[in-house]
Amino acid sequence: MRQRFFFLGRQAVWLKRLLLVCGSLLMVVLSAPTVAAATAQHYTDLDFPPLRAVELPDYERYTLPNGIVVYLVEDHELPLVDGQALFRTGDRLEPSDKVGLASITGAVLRNGGTTEHSPDEINEFLEQRAAAIETGIDSSSGSASFSSLSEDLEPVFDLFAEVLQHPAFREDKIALEKQQWQGAIARRNDNPDDIARREFDKHIYGPNHPYARTVEYTNLDNIERADLIQFYQQSFRPEQMLLGIVGDFDPAVMKAKIAAAFGDWQPAAVASLPELPAVEQVNPGNLFFVEQPQLTQSYIYVGHLGGELSNPDYPALSVMNGVLNGFGGRLFNEVRSRQGLAYSVYGFWSPRYDYPGLFIAGGQTRSDATVPFITALQTEINAIRTTLVSDPELAYAKESILNSFVFNFQSPSQLISRLMRYEYYGYPPDFIFSYQEAVKRTTAQDILQAAQTHLNPEQLTMLIVGNSAAIDPPLDTLGETVQTVDITIPQPQNS
Amino acid sequence: MPVMRSHPRIQPLALGLSLVLCLWCLFTPSAAAQTPSASMQPYLDRVKANITEFTLDNGLKFIVLERHDAPVVSFATYADVGGVDEPDGQTGVAHFLEHLAFKGTTKIGTRDYAAEVKLLDQLDDLNAQIKAAQTEGDTDNLDALNAQFEALQAEAGELAIQNQFGQIVEQAGGVGLNAATSADYTIYTYSLPSNKLELWMSLESERFLDPVFREFFKEQQVILEERRWRTDNSPVGQMVEAFLDAAYTAHPYGRPVIGYNEDIRNLTRQNVHDFFETYYVPNNLTVAIVGDVQPRRVKQLAQTYFGRYPSRPEAPEVTVVEPPQTEPRSVTLKLESEPWYLEGYHRPNLMHPDSMAYDLMAAILSDGRTSRLYKSLVQEQQVALSAAGFGGFPGDKYPNMLLFYAMTAPGQDVETVATALHGEIERLKTEPVTAQELERVKNQAKAGLLRSLDSNSGMSRLLSEYDGKTGDWRNVFRYLDAIDTVTPAQIQRIAQETFVPTNQTIGKILNQNTPN
Repeated sequence: MRQRFFFLGRQAVWLKRLLLVCGSLLMVVLSAPTVAAATAQHYTDLDFPPLRAVELPDYERYTLPNGIVVYLVEDHELPLVDGQALFRTGDRLEPSDKVGLASITGAVLRNGGTTEHSPDEINEFLEQRAAAIETGIDSSSGSASFSSLSEDLEPVFDLFAEVLQHPAFREDKIALEKQQWQGAIARRNDNPDDIARREFDKHIYGPNHPYARTVEYTNLDNIERADLIQFYQQSFRPEQMLLGIVGDFDPAVMKAKIAAAFGDWQPAAVASLPELPAVEQVNPGNLFFVEQPQLTQSYIYVGHLGGELSNPDYPALSVMNGVLNGFGGRLFNEVRSRQGLAYSVYGFWSPRYDYPGLFIAGGQTRSDATVPFITALQTEINAIRTTLVSDPELAYAKESILNSFVFNFQSPSQLISRLMRYEYYGYPPDFIFSYQEAVKRTTAQDILQAAQTHLNPEQLTMLIVGNSAAIDPPLDTLGETVQTVDITIPQPQNS
Repeated sequence: MPVMRSHPRIQPLALGLSLVLCLWCLFTPSAAAQTPSASMQPYLDRVKANITEFTLDNGLKFIVLERHDAPVVSFATYADVGGVDEPDGQTGVAHFLEHLAFKGTTKIGTRDYAAEVKLLDQLDDLNAQIKAAQTEGDTDNLDALNAQFEALQAEAGELAIQNQFGQIVEQAGGVGLNAATSADYTIYTYSLPSNKLELWMSLESERFLDPVFREFFKEQQVILEERRWRTDNSPVGQMVEAFLDAAYTAHPYGRPVIGYNEDIRNLTRQNVHDFFETYYVPNNLTVAIVGDVQPRRVKQLAQTYFGRYPSRPEAPEVTVVEPPQTEPRSVTLKLESEPWYLEGYHRPNLMHPDSMAYDLMAAILSDGRTSRLYKSLVQEQQVALSAAGFGGFPGDKYPNMLLFYAMTAPGQDVETVATALHGEIERLKTEPVTAQELERVKNQAKAGLLRSLDSNSGMSRLLSEYDGKTGDWRNVFRYLDAIDTVTPAQIQRIAQETFVPTNQTIGKILNQNTPN
């Protein structure tokens, strides 16, 4: 493969045309003028012309003097311009007595208006033009985006810059956002899927760990407007910003606009955000149960702490994911189709970019099939780490990844999002191609070794939401002590 | 993500009801309709110019949109059959068939079809005997029959190659392999690298030329799990089913697409076969292919592969007409859930001249932070966490519901929310919407279509659905012209006609732990 044409530097650099031929090195074939089949062929008798090469668009990357990293790529197919920005922040960095602060800051940054325009003015302005500006903060990043018809680009982009640099954080909008959170807290036990996933995370990372903690009424009471402003100033700063713009624009004009709108932005002098929280699994190897007597199904999560995408075993583990999942995967074939135990069943190595993710398996099954379902999962987890996968399974998993690789290159915005994500997390820009090469090299032995290294049956935490009266055989036949989890919502203190 | 085959209308609402209940929202006229401004028109014309169509002698229609940006192509096979077409007592058969359409053919999914087919027939016989024994309470015989059934089923399972159809698609680089069943239609989709156009032709034509509904009884269990998950154990899923049951007295829109529990359990392979023979006929299917393909080549291959389908009689249409509602209806469920408020009104179907006005009215009430319901109920009165309404529930081929829904804000009850909602509904009846509001939703509709044009899979679904449902894919673009004719006076008129108590159905989820 000859895809290593990414060069990043301080000046503008250009991505060369990229040959992308899944599985083999072939020259550009344009229309594949093969003769039409005279008769219908069974799929096994078909030969396919080589896949036409992908042409990746040229993009430009440069840095403003105040530190903003900019990615630009033109795309004139439609009269639209879309921008997305990433900011180095995340709710994992908010103070533990103010859980919810990051999310509220991210929302009110947009909803709370600017020093120049009221929220209503902004909403009217954007929606009249079918444009959008949104901001938010999730676990590991802050984001801001705009979307505009190209004819409205100038005013929309100016407003985008204004929202990011001159937010007003109006008190009434902070109160409204808090009310949304109070509603979400009150409703968080309404859906068994939500309960199960939330409680599973708490029993892996720890109930108060930044990757699992939940917003509570008491946290909300601790959050003041001054906290939002401080967290905003710590988070939305030029030197912590990557900006990508894709669409129907003239690059010279766009660059001038960016310089005019963002070039003078100077960061406020505030304390830096803290370091990333350390991660280690709490309570490995335990069985937790949430009683929901109204249910006829059990909601099951089984798993343990996982790893990061940068781990050299990630490609082998993602091929392992392919062996376990999908239409040809063991779990779907065995637990769903052969045993009829579930509509949804899965088991994934699910890594994160900069902190340990999860190995997570599960699904839903009727109450009386709970133990057989879990046993079936355990059987498959044990099998993948004790026996070499067969050649057809290996081919299925690898070819599924490699033959569908072209779908990573469908649009310029996909490319820019990926490059920004890699830069944000400190990954090389050609990471996806290293991954592709490593998948090609992956053997059954690699999968076995990776599974033995990274999957640990002793460490598996199980969390089940269900109706214990109908779970027969009961959960304690799994050989673990069943620990009941109380999910009662702590009530607000002042109401 | 787990592989899921969904019937989109029955998903939990918790993530935003309009989004999940109206999977095709992006592609309904409310989003697609517009007055194209001068700057938009050339782009739309260019897309139109890249669309070609042909119909095979057997009546199967193909629509092809060329997009050569990337060497990929998306396929949608639209079957003009859904939950509404099911015989009474066989609800869920359309969706069951959709699941079984992944089970292969006489050549795909089997190790030995000749041996397998005998076992499948024996299983059907045994199943009939078991049902009879159950009815007669013949418990002595039942145990033996069940044991025999299990053994035979295991034997048949050994001859099957589980999910081979899907495995072939995925191994070839296919993505997005899925299907969905709604009240109106069933759609089968996936995308491939564009050099494998002929693979799709071969697999998809065989899929419906020569299907084998194997693993029927295991899939029945899977579907029952799906029903438990989406409906029985979901407060909003339960409400949607109860609401439609209350809102309709005759039309099959009142029935759940996934099927009633009892019906799913009683369905047989023969039922599925009969349904397939009646509705999966070539002139009831529409295929849309969007991406890096040459239309001439598509046509050649389509003739070779899909020309094998014999012509068949036209599938019957639903003739039941819902009688006019004469009094308000309501349904209340007390569940382990915070409150929800639903309120629906019957409205005309997609092809009705007022359809566009209904969609624009719903958009003025519901779309975005400037929408009337958000501003009034969420922002100003703060009685709801969210509030919106949308038409096309549970489908739009037939007269359907304009459904409003709201989640109560903390400390607020459903009656307060209902009062606030009625304030906005009454306003539509007493004063015309402003020119600015109407202009805004038209602009948003315009941009909505524009933004959907760069998705091969989205366009394949959109074109096939419009063609299958309205008879012509060009209606995607024609609705843009139709939008011009909508006036504030028309919206006021339909509001006055629609929002009357005798046309109203109310649904309430109340928290069973809260005393009322």
